[in-house]
Amino acid sequence: METGNDFLVRMVGIHKWFGRVYALRGVDFEVRRGETVGLIGDNGAGKSTLIKILSGYHQADQGDIYFEGQKVKIRSPRDARNLGIETVYQEQALAPNLSISRNIFMGREPVRRLGIMDKKVMDEESMKALANLGLRLRSPDLPVVTLSGGERQGVAIARALHFKAKLVILDEPTVALSVKEVEEVLEFVRQLQREKVSVVFITHNLYHAFDIAERFVVMARGLKMADVKKEDTSPQGLSELVLKSAFVAV
Amino acid sequence: MERFTKFLRQRAASTFLVFVGLVIIFSLFSPRHVFINARNIAALGKLFPDLGVVALGVGMLMICGEFDLSVASVLPFCAYIFARSLYVGIAPVWGMVLAILVGCGLGWINGFLTVKTRMPSFITTLGTLMFWRGILYVWSQMMPLGIRQYIPTGSSFEKVFAGTIVGFFPVQSLWFALFAVVLGVLLHYHRFGNWVYATGDNRDAARAMGINTDWVKTLCFVIVGALCGFVACMQSVRIGSFAATQGIGMELRSIAACVVGGTSLRGGVGSMSGVTLGALTIPILDNGLILLRVPVFGITAFIGLATILFVVLNTYVERRFR
Repeated sequence: METGNDFLVRMVGIHKWFGRVYALRGVDFEVRRGETVGLIGDNGAGKSTLIKILSGYHQADQGDIYFEGQKVKIRSPRDARNLGIETVYQEQALAPNLSISRNIFMGREPVRRLGIMDKKVMDEESMKALANLGLRLRSPDLPVVTLSGGERQGVAIARALHFKAKLVILDEPTVALSVKEVEEVLEFVRQLQREKVSVVFITHNLYHAFDIAERFVVMARGLKMADVKKEDTSPQGLSELVLKSAFVAV
Repeated sequence: MERFTKFLRQRAASTFLVFVGLVIIFSLFSPRHVFINARNIAALGKLFPDLGVVALGVGMLMICGEFDLSVASVLPFCAYIFARSLYVGIAPVWGMVLAILVGCGLGWINGFLTVKTRMPSFITTLGTLMFWRGILYVWSQMMPLGIRQYIPTGSSFEKVFAGTIVGFFPVQSLWFALFAVVLGVLLHYHRFGNWVYATGDNRDAARAMGINTDWVKTLCFVIVGALCGFVACMQSVRIGSFAATQGIGMELRSIAACVVGGTSLRGGVGSMSGVTLGALTIPILDNGLILLRVPVFGITAFIGLATILFVVLNTYVERRFR
């Protein structure tokens, strides 16, 4: 029997409506310290809604969130970041025309007097954070739009690492990437695991998730349909679970 | 060469080259080279900051991903507040403070409407453009209001906002330079500037990173309003009166100046130096074409053409050398 302290985050009985759409119908979701959870399910299953509640983008209509055993209210993305929850959204995590260092420190710029940014610190720390992830880029001044898809995810993940995230949420990080870039991103995630950071990995692609996650949560139509450990299943088993749960009458 | 291609990679680089070209052409071909005549330069330096200062704010707002069409009404509205306050016996300095505060307030309304209704600011500020002009016409009955009796020529207030330095250099240009530097520092070196870029470039990312994008946008609208209030007073002092026609056409000319200076209509891209350049280029085109004896009413056609050409050129050069 596990004690509550093993959990980094615990969401209990989360309900969410969008107007007349009942997006989450009482979902429990938890992540242990240092654990990587694959969150899978079809489009519209409620994965993104659940995660956006955790990252402060939406607020739950009902239900509680516990972080490190404490009950917390996450009212904004800033609240979430202050707790140590960093989210890497599919394509939305970065401002394409801004430089790498400005992206990494977006919203948390180190400043000298009067709010003037400390560019030297930003540049050095950015390059250091990228190097930690095994990513070597020419200059911190490059606009993000000039990077490859994999490198962009790297910048977003480096940002999470730099700010000592305890939980990194990756929302479809491998969508629209080439095979080589996917491998790159998975390697970044392994680096997070080595640093004992908890990871939630949201994806359509069971094979990408299967490589790195230790536990899988399957969602369909706003409900949690299954919660299985990696050793108790296989990619085929998971894929059947997703299919089956999508057709279960609610 | 390395230096040169790096320079060309700047979005407004080609505007700069064309700007230099224009100055040379106008200098050579205007009758008796009147373009570079000291008096013409002085006149330009006196007039261009009216549009220029407003354009600086509009540029920042556009980088933030929004437009403000209402500047053309906010400006005369503030000018009327200024003139009125002089008539009720308020000192010019406080009248100016009041006008700027009203400008801030009108800017805040623009921001509030845009942020709360989630409508494009093109629509909300089109609405306030017409609304405030209508209110102004009714309130002022379109009558001009002379203010020379309150701010006589040679008074210190007049000197600060419409005088010259060493008998030649118009102070308006200095005000423009001051605003350009202050807003440039704010946009490029201050953390607020990074929020402005982030908000305009990718609002969702900015929000996810904890930036209050609604607040950032509203503040940019307020800055534009404040600048309108400032220019309203500066312009009124120069022409010695309030005129209901002040500001007409400024909404699109300020956007044209920003676009010519390499500001993207989609937000997230642009620079203060670019906007400064654009704010200089449009009036110089105006002035040079008049001196070349182009009929005054035809000049708009040239400005329109130039705006399109500049954007095409900037985009092309940027792609080519990236």
